[in-house]
Amino acid sequence: MAIPAEERRRSPLYRALEAHGARFEALGDYAVASDFGREAADEAEQAESLGLADLTPFPRIGFKGWNVAPWLAGAGAEMGEASNRAYPQADGTRIARLAPGEALVLAGRRGEGPLIETLDQAWSMAEADGCYRVARDETSCWLLLTGAHAPSMLAKVCAVDLRPHAFVPDAIAQTNVARLNVIVIRGDLGQVPAFDLITDLASAVYLWGALLDAMAEYDGAPVGLGAIRALLDGSEPSS
Amino acid sequence: MMARLPEPAGLLLDRTEPVAFRFEGKRYEGYRGDTVASALAANDVSILSRSFKYHRPRGLHSLSGLDANTLVQVGPAPNRFAEREALAPNLEVMGQNYWGTLRHDRLAVFGLLHRFFPVGFYYKAFYKPRWTWPLWAKMIRRIAGLGTVDTNAPHGYFDKQYLFCDVLVVGGGAAGLAAASEAAEAGADVILVDENAALGGRLLYGRADAGGIRAEEERARLVGAVEGSDRIAAMTETACLGRYADNWLPLVRGNRLYKLRTKALVVATGSLEQPLVFRNNDLPGVMLGSAAQRLIKLYGVKPGRRAVVATVNDEGYGAALDLLDAGVEVAAVVDLRMDVQRTAMSDTLAARRVPVHAASAPWEAVPQRKGPRLARARVARIEADGVCAPTVDTFSCDLLVVCGGHAPAAALLRQAGATFAHDSARNTTVVADLPPGVFAAGGVAGTFGLDAAMAEGRRAGWQAARATGLDAGSEPPAPDEGSQAAAAAPWPIFPHPDHKAFVDLDEDVQVHDLEDAIAEGYDHVELLKRFTTNGMGPSQGRHSSLNAVRVLSRATARSIDETGVTTVRQPIVPVTMGHLAGRSFEPVRYTAMHFRHLEAGATMMPAGLWLRPEFYGDKSRRQTLIREEAKNVRDNVGIIDVSTLGGLDVRGPDAAEFMNRMYTFAYLKQPVGRSRYVLMTDLGGVVVDDGVACRMHEDHFYVTATTSGVDNVYREMLWYNAQWRLKVDVTNVTAALAGVNIAGPNCRAVLETLCDDVDLSPEGFPYMGVREGHVAGIPTLFLRVGFVGELGYELHVPASQGEALWDALMEAGTAHGIRPFGVEAQRLLRLEKGHILIGQDTDGLTTPHEADMAWALAKKKPFHVGIRSVRMQAAKGLTRKLVGFEMPGVGVEQPKECHLVIRDGEITGRVTSVAYSPNLDKIVGLAYVAPDQSEPGTKIEIRVDGARMVNATVAKIPFFDPDGARQEL
Repeated sequence: MAIPAEERRRSPLYRALEAHGARFEALGDYAVASDFGREAADEAEQAESLGLADLTPFPRIGFKGWNVAPWLAGAGAEMGEASNRAYPQADGTRIARLAPGEALVLAGRRGEGPLIETLDQAWSMAEADGCYRVARDETSCWLLLTGAHAPSMLAKVCAVDLRPHAFVPDAIAQTNVARLNVIVIRGDLGQVPAFDLITDLASAVYLWGALLDAMAEYDGAPVGLGAIRALLDGSEPSS
Repeated sequence: MMARLPEPAGLLLDRTEPVAFRFEGKRYEGYRGDTVASALAANDVSILSRSFKYHRPRGLHSLSGLDANTLVQVGPAPNRFAEREALAPNLEVMGQNYWGTLRHDRLAVFGLLHRFFPVGFYYKAFYKPRWTWPLWAKMIRRIAGLGTVDTNAPHGYFDKQYLFCDVLVVGGGAAGLAAASEAAEAGADVILVDENAALGGRLLYGRADAGGIRAEEERARLVGAVEGSDRIAAMTETACLGRYADNWLPLVRGNRLYKLRTKALVVATGSLEQPLVFRNNDLPGVMLGSAAQRLIKLYGVKPGRRAVVATVNDEGYGAALDLLDAGVEVAAVVDLRMDVQRTAMSDTLAARRVPVHAASAPWEAVPQRKGPRLARARVARIEADGVCAPTVDTFSCDLLVVCGGHAPAAALLRQAGATFAHDSARNTTVVADLPPGVFAAGGVAGTFGLDAAMAEGRRAGWQAARATGLDAGSEPPAPDEGSQAAAAAPWPIFPHPDHKAFVDLDEDVQVHDLEDAIAEGYDHVELLKRFTTNGMGPSQGRHSSLNAVRVLSRATARSIDETGVTTVRQPIVPVTMGHLAGRSFEPVRYTAMHFRHLEAGATMMPAGLWLRPEFYGDKSRRQTLIREEAKNVRDNVGIIDVSTLGGLDVRGPDAAEFMNRMYTFAYLKQPVGRSRYVLMTDLGGVVVDDGVACRMHEDHFYVTATTSGVDNVYREMLWYNAQWRLKVDVTNVTAALAGVNIAGPNCRAVLETLCDDVDLSPEGFPYMGVREGHVAGIPTLFLRVGFVGELGYELHVPASQGEALWDALMEAGTAHGIRPFGVEAQRLLRLEKGHILIGQDTDGLTTPHEADMAWALAKKKPFHVGIRSVRMQAAKGLTRKLVGFEMPGVGVEQPKECHLVIRDGEITGRVTSVAYSPNLDKIVGLAYVAPDQSEPGTKIEIRVDGARMVNATVAKIPFFDPDGARQEL
């Protein structure tokens, strides 16, 4: 059991999570909400219907510049030519190509991010040469919206067609959600539709409130890492 | 006499759930599923409102939710259609537009004075003198009132939602249902919207066969197919407000506005039954055939005791049969057609001994002797179009049902660019041409008859699916021309010498009003509409435009097509401001330390989208607290959250060149580890932003910008970088970094307890230096700056660790008298130093020379954005200059920002910043003055509140610590 206020790094949402009864576990220098005091099965069911998780404590890193693609390739990260697509990596991380010269590397669904650490250590300003590190873990908060109702609920706050067949897995929309610039990435949890929402860190509290307000119609609620794990475990073939 | 019918009448009712409500203060009861109008009808309430101009009593007429007849006030909401307002427990409903009571309206006297209110009397009577306009407007508004707006009404929760589909079908009647199913079967994602509570359109209440069973059978089949399809989303009680470019359509359901985008659109909105025009055709008890059928079938209300049915086509026969089935005595069917064909329905009616009067028309509706309701119908034989024989038959009745044919509900199609033509053979309007991606079926296209409508619906659905790129299979057969409904009588208008033959019930426009206006020269359909206001009421001409066009067509000897129609604009049904506004989204940004400020009792103030602490503590001690906070910075150590300052990373081999072009100073030779002031001008040479550039690496500048200006600076940088194509990347890292400014003589001592990897000594870390190290183990960028004029450090740390940094500094600073200070104290401290704030001490025209910032202009470099303008301004000379001024601390009235500097009655400038300085015990400020007033010691006069003049003296800045010794400690 971790206490957010005692950790050095704190999500701007930790108070909001506490207000919903969150229980936390440690993740790196952060505390991340593991559940909201409900049975794991209940919370997984909530996530299948409509859930909102704060993944801000998850590792992520960004790169910008005219040499991003070759530099990443040299560091062992592969991504395709097309922008606005996410490219899953072997270690569970995903590279979201936001533009020809911009990439965002996101931790895996359980918070794992060995590639991120590798890239962070490999990069230096002295040898940047057209590929510049962006502290995406500090510029942006990261929310995960899950569940069957997520596309309908998002339609209340976003003008892009995010219906499952129109916005396929790994599609990216750099758009406006509740009047904020948000990167929306489709990244399902097994069979459960899920959308990563990445936006201005300073606006996290606002967006959290706006989303919960829009979710109320569908009985949406916050979910923790436990629910995400349960959905992942349920979708992975047993060995 | 209206009364509730037993089941199975009343398709929409849930009779297990009675609902009590009040109308005009009296309690009534209806059922769940009723509307206010149907529940009142079931309680035999015949008057719902008073008419707009003559205050005539009005009741149910069309039951289509379009007429002003049923506008009521529901709680705080005025102008609600009683026909659309779902009955809910404890609704408080009031009539509108009367003086006295709804039954005894004193303003009904206008009906007797109608001769003094000719068409266009507004324009004629209230034209001169002009100063009376507001008086008349006020009086007319009261008399022609449309409910009362409750300005204290509670806010409703409205919101919006986007919708997407392959095919949108508007209209859930037979054609629409068939179209939706066909499109879905072809693989399209379909949304079907209908404004009514249930799908089926006319099948819900109309009569499709003599036996009266086919409509329900077809409805069940069609609705079942729609509900059984997982590709169709059906939305009932949903109004489509209009059609915009690229098939974008707003929909309203409940408190939500939907913004829908579709690849193809099928309009199956049907048609609107039209009234007949004769004397007193507006009496309560005169209603459309479809209204009577709706009352019976949907709401289980018997619409009268004894009826006369007047019709231009076969539909009146179906209405008459429905009335008979509901227990209404039908005294006669009056058929306007000269040549009436036998049908199964007419045979059935004859078998039930209902007399039919062919080639006849209702000539007059006669009210009760002492009441407003219909008592008799007078019927005459038609001698020619609109002309009746002098002898009449009189029928005692309390219900006169009129079936005047149809006008297409064509608003969406017209907005899409469809064209229509008048089919003179059938006296109806048909679609002539449709734009790409838009299809029409059923009554809206001029196709009547159930089989034809369904066939046309199937074909439209198929065409729509194919238009989206789907392989839709083979084309369904076209509707059988021969099955389309029989022709209607051509002329349904019968003016009476005693007038009161209304064309537009909303606006009390009579036949002779139209004729008079045309005679006065208003002989274009748009002019006629505006001069007579025909079609300008809530129903927007849906029940009046066709007859007005007929009158105009005849008077000008032009065809219906030549006469044309008026424009139908969006929204085509009334929409509330709440729907248009929706849920408000107002983003707000919090710094990492936001909640620490709240915990410390801060009063927060907006700074762009951010919230910043204005001061800390009891609001009633605001001024005292601000001064205490400022004094503590001078005496001990203060800490302020500066996270809202903009932060930009400029990186790349051309970073220095880029900086040199963007800002006025010189940056090519700026050493790594040093910071330098930055000033940005736009192309006009106007000061737009400032900050500090820290050279972190040969190829890396970290640049700060103002809180409210950073987004614009970032945008400008991207804009210019795209043009210059330098090897530079610009990243906005504002949110990534939390920042605090710790300042005051004790600040170094505080930091020394938390930092062991940066030499904080004056020699090791001089003023304007930049260092990287750690504070309390948190990676920190240190900037030695002096915005408040004291020894100070700006500490920039990862935002995720901002709160931890704040906690550590507050704890370590306790022994040194640390205290947080807010924006107001900072403003005072910087004013004492004479530092300007961009946006407060500058405006949209301020040049660097005016702001006395020529020192920030590099003299030798060839270019920066705005350099040409700046140099031209310098050569041209100043017209104003920003200077410091001071006044005694006591005994004078302190000016406020924007108070004017006046000399000899002329404005020479204005105050931009002003405050009492407790450190200096005097009032200090910045102001624009004339150039010849800018020398220190010059006396200036400032006009304060109440037009009083106060004296001030131009002073040299900084006011405090002019040598900068304290900040360079």
